[in-house]
Formats: sequence, C-alpha cells, structure tokens
Amino acid sequence: MNLTRKQFLMAMMGAAALPLASPAFAQQNAPIVIGATVPITGPLSLTGKQYHNSLTMAEEDINKAGGINGRNIKIVFEDTQASNSTAVNAFIKLAQDAKPSFFFLSSYSTQNLAAAPEVKKVGVPTMYAGGADVVAESGNEWMFRIRPADSVAAVGMVRCAIDILKTKKPGILYIQNDFGQGGANVAAKQLEAAGVPVVGMEAYGQNDKDFSAQLLALRSKGADTILMLVYPQDGALLLRQAKMLGLKMPLVTSAAALVPAALQLLAPGDLDNVMGVVDAHMDASVGERMKGYVERYKTKFGTDPDPYGLSYYDGAMLMADGMRKVGTDAKALRDWLANVKNWQGIGHDYSYDAKGNGVFDLAVVKAKPGTKTLELVQSIKVN
Amino acid sequence: MADFIQLFINGLAIGSVYALAAIGFIIVYSATGVVNFAAGQFVMFGTFAGVAALMNFGMPWPVGYAVSLAAMAVFGALFFLLIYLPLRKSAVLTIIIGTVAIGITMQNAAQLTFGSWPFRLPSPLEGIMVDIGGAVIAAHALAVVVVTGVMIALLWLLFYRTSVGIGMRAVAQDVQAARLMGLNVNRLLALSWILAAVLAGVAGLMLGPMWFADVSMGDPIALKAFAATIIGGFGSLPGAIAGGLFVGLTEVLGASYISSAYKDLIAFGIMILFLLVRPQGVFGERIQDRG
Repeated sequence: MNLTRKQFLMAMMGAAALPLASPAFAQQNAPIVIGATVPITGPLSLTGKQYHNSLTMAEEDINKAGGINGRNIKIVFEDTQASNSTAVNAFIKLAQDAKPSFFFLSSYSTQNLAAAPEVKKVGVPTMYAGGADVVAESGNEWMFRIRPADSVAAVGMVRCAIDILKTKKPGILYIQNDFGQGGANVAAKQLEAAGVPVVGMEAYGQNDKDFSAQLLALRSKGADTILMLVYPQDGALLLRQAKMLGLKMPLVTSAAALVPAALQLLAPGDLDNVMGVVDAHMDASVGERMKGYVERYKTKFGTDPDPYGLSYYDGAMLMADGMRKVGTDAKALRDWLANVKNWQGIGHDYSYDAKGNGVFDLAVVKAKPGTKTLELVQSIKVN
Repeated sequence: MADFIQLFINGLAIGSVYALAAIGFIIVYSATGVVNFAAGQFVMFGTFAGVAALMNFGMPWPVGYAVSLAAMAVFGALFFLLIYLPLRKSAVLTIIIGTVAIGITMQNAAQLTFGSWPFRLPSPLEGIMVDIGGAVIAAHALAVVVVTGVMIALLWLLFYRTSVGIGMRAVAQDVQAARLMGLNVNRLLALSWILAAVLAGVAGLMLGPMWFADVSMGDPIALKAFAATIIGGFGSLPGAIAGGLFVGLTEVLGASYISSAYKDLIAFGIMILFLLVRPQGVFGERIQDRG
C-alpha cells in the first residue's frame, strides 16, 4: 500500500491522539469530585449557606492555584435541610451518583451521627463540623472534625465564666439535643471541679419560642451568670428575651448566637453584658489572611462571613494540601489527615488526635458598647 | 411573686395567640367540617404580611397593620375559592390531606419569597417595659392579652348581635336547614374562611415581635392550637379561648415549676388525657349530641 505524505501525516496524528480518547486519560483530566451535604434550605440554612458559600470560594481558590497537581476539583452539593433522614439520603445519593473522593458533612451533630454509618460503609475521608463529642467517640476512622468539639467549647465557656466574669453561682441553659445536653454536662462537671457548682440547669426544645420560664427559673435560683448552649435563631431570641425580662446577670453564649445570621436579629442593646465563646474572631485585625478572607467573602456574597463557614474553607484547603501530597486514594488521604499536626489554617491551627478532633482553640468576644461589632476579649487554648 | 406575675403574663400572652389560632380552627371546622391543618401556616402568613407591609414597604403602623389584615382577608377568600370549593364534595380525608399539602405549599412559598433568614418584626411598643408588682413586663405582651380580649368581644358581637354572625352560626348548625331558610350559604362559608384568616393575621402580627418571623413558625402554633381545641372542646368557641390560655399557661408555668425539659410533654400529655377521658373537651359537645 502506498501512502501519500498527507495520508502518512494524518495517520501519525491520529495515532498520537489515540491515548487522549482513552478512558484513563479522560479520568486523569476530569475534575476531582468532592461531595458536600449541607443544609441549603430550611431553618438550618441560616448557617448552612455559609458552608455552601465558603466551600464554593475554596473550590475557586484551589482551582485558581492550579488545582490538585493540575486537576481541578468540583464540589457537588446536596441539601440536608433540617432533617437527619434527608442528610443520610443526601449522602447516599452523592456517594452512589457522583462517587466523590472526599466529603464534607453539615455542622449539625445529629445529622453527622445519622450519616456516620454510611460514611464508614463508603470508606472515603470526610470532614464534619458538628460539635457533639459522641460523633468522635464512635471511633469512625474516616471522619475528621474541623471545628472545636462541644466539650472544648464548654471548657472555653467555663473558663470565661470563672476567669473573666468571676462567677460564684453559674446557671446553664441549653438546647435539648446532643450538642446542648453534651456541652451542658461537660460544663457542669468542669464548674463542679473548679469549686463553683451550678445552681440550676434548664433545657428548651429546638422549636421553642418562649424562654421566660427557663430564664426566670435560673434567676430565682440565684444564678449570677448564665451559660447558654444554643443554635443561632433561638440563641438570638434568648438574648432578646433575657433583656425583655430585665435580667441583669452576664450571659455567656456559645458561638451560634453571635454568627451574622443571629446578629442581624438583635439590637445593640440586646448584647449588653453578653460574652460569646466563638470558634474564631473574624476580624481584619487578626492578620492579613483573615483580613483577605473576610473582605473577599463580603465582596463576593454581600454578607459577613462566620467562623463556621471559615472552618469549611480551612477544611477544603487542608484537603487540597493532602491530595497534592498523597493523591486521592482514600486510605492514603485518611492516613495523611490523621497525622496532621499544627497545620496553619486561617481560623485555627489543626492537629488531629486519635478520634479525629482537630481544633482546640477558641476566642472570647463581646460587642463594643452600643454596637454589634465584636471585639476580642481573650483567646483560649484547650489542651 | 414577681417571677410568678412575669410568668403568668407571658403565659397569658402566648396562650392568647394560641387561642386566636384555635378560634380560627374552630370557626372553619364548625362551618365546614374541615380540620384545617394549614392553620399554623395561616398565622405564619399573617406575620409575613406584617413583614412585607411594615418592613419591606415601610408603611406606618396603622396602615401597615390594616393592609396586612386586608391581605389576609383576601387570602382567606382565595383559599375558599381555590382550595375549599373544589374539594368540598371530596371525602373528609381528601380535604384534610389537601390542607396539609396546602400548608406545606404555603411554607415553601413564603421561603421562596422571603428566604430562610428570619426577620425581626418590630412592635409599636418596642422597648417599653411596665412594672407590675416588681415584675418587669414587656408592654407588647400586655397588649397581646388586651387585643385578644377585644377580638373575642368583637367576635361575640358578630356571632350574637349581627344577622351575618347569626347566619354563620346557623350554617355551622345545619347547612341544609340554613339553605332552606334562604341563607346564602356559600357567602357565609366564604366569610368563615375570611374570618379565620383575619384572626390568624392578628395572631401573626402580635406573635412576630415576640418570636422572630420565620417560615417554620407555623408548625408549633398549629400543634398548640390543636391541643387547645382538644382540651377546650372541638367546635366550641369558649373552649378554644380557654384551651389556648390553658396551653399557654401550662407551657410557661409547667416549664418553670415542674420541668423545662418536659414542658411540651405536660401540655400534650394533658391533651392525650382529655382524648382518653373526656374526648369532647371541657366545653365541647359529644359528636352524637351534635347530630
């Protein structure tokens, strides 16, 4: 067979291009899929939108920086709403359809607990932001926490009450779920150990809207400080009702009551005599990286960022770092994450322990008088 | 004592809102035989009508409230025309499921329109506190109790002193007889839905400043209003009022003096007790008596 020069060149080009059409090549250049199951609609979307936004921002930043050794990442979201069963279904759907190399779960412990058995079955490294200690205690080796555990937050609140507010008769008010009950028990034990036993512990349900009974009960028991373990919306309502009932004692709230979503419901006066133990102090004064994150987030989404969202951004950056170093093999990536020590995120230094807890630092903040601008009172490191 | 006064007035204020929602429940049930499971979402719509009028459009208080209640009246009429009328000849179960579906639709519609972030609906009495026997009471809570009292008085006048109200009672007693007497039954049924929607609007406007306005606020109200009607007596207007106040007071006083962890258990436990021991409630008539 005689070939013309043109036919020969065409044949050579075709041969050279053949590998590009193979499935292996296609897979090499396809984006790395990351699954994220977060509450995008419903009452929990108050904070869930922050996770969505910050993960979207992290995806852009990682891809702009060259992706994972040349491959882009693509985050696929599924909505968990405010339901544990929806959270589990969202995880299973993503695991079956998109087959992600990595997962992010929501910041709601009950959803994390519900999805944990499926995470174990799928066997893919997963980051979550729920605070309940019981999630880590279950010993799921694929799950890594990107926020302080509730026991860490409770210790921070106790230190704030004892060291800063010099409480002698603390009371505790908590939301009745794994987060609130677990944190309240830890705080009560810590206070007892410090020689200032609680004078009363009161609970409320997630759908409750009136807290006068609980607040007045703590006042009548002589509480000189109230520690509040709350979610955003009920936390804001609690702070407001405490003022309406004329309570004068200082209130120490967990982080959720001071996220932007909750702050927009409050007047400056509602924050008088309130201290918050938050994951991180989100202020430009913290440093250049924090300043850059805060300003870019505000410009991009038109709202203030919150520390929960920041932990997802940090988590995505940590994941990308791991993938660049050890690839996307699930076992290799899990092992790398388990050995992370002093990884410098924007919000925290991450060091993972044997149970997958990675964050042990907190910030005590309060509002500047007459404003809703938060200022740092003290940083806390819990061993 | 000061704590008790504070708790009592808070309980009364919340109970008043439950009572208004329960009255709306009863008016519709008595006239149409429909248990409206969207009643909680009616209250939520009332709150968001206030959010739209007062916050989004910046209307002054009296105008904003009037526009909100007018919007709720229109909503009640539309509900009658578009939901009740097409379903009225269906099986009761179909209508009940229909109201559940409409409730879900209303919640999602509110979320699409207003988003999932709650709003702080202001009160004209914002920040005003009243000292009663050493107890600090928000003026808004007192106003809720007073407004509910006025609404109940107006309802009594409507039902017992006007021909329209007497006609509505006649329709509630026996639709066929009312029709034979020459009453415009459809108009009176429409009025029942409108009245229920307006009452829910009043409840929503009063509730907004006490809670935050959020799209999921309707569910707990519906549950408590339902408990109130069971305890007070299904079909009884005084029962709805007494039941609402009882549930509100039980919730607040029970949480304070028994256990905050079991406050819902106390209210719903009493409701279950009534269902077992006295299903007609305190003021209600037995079903066979009604026939």
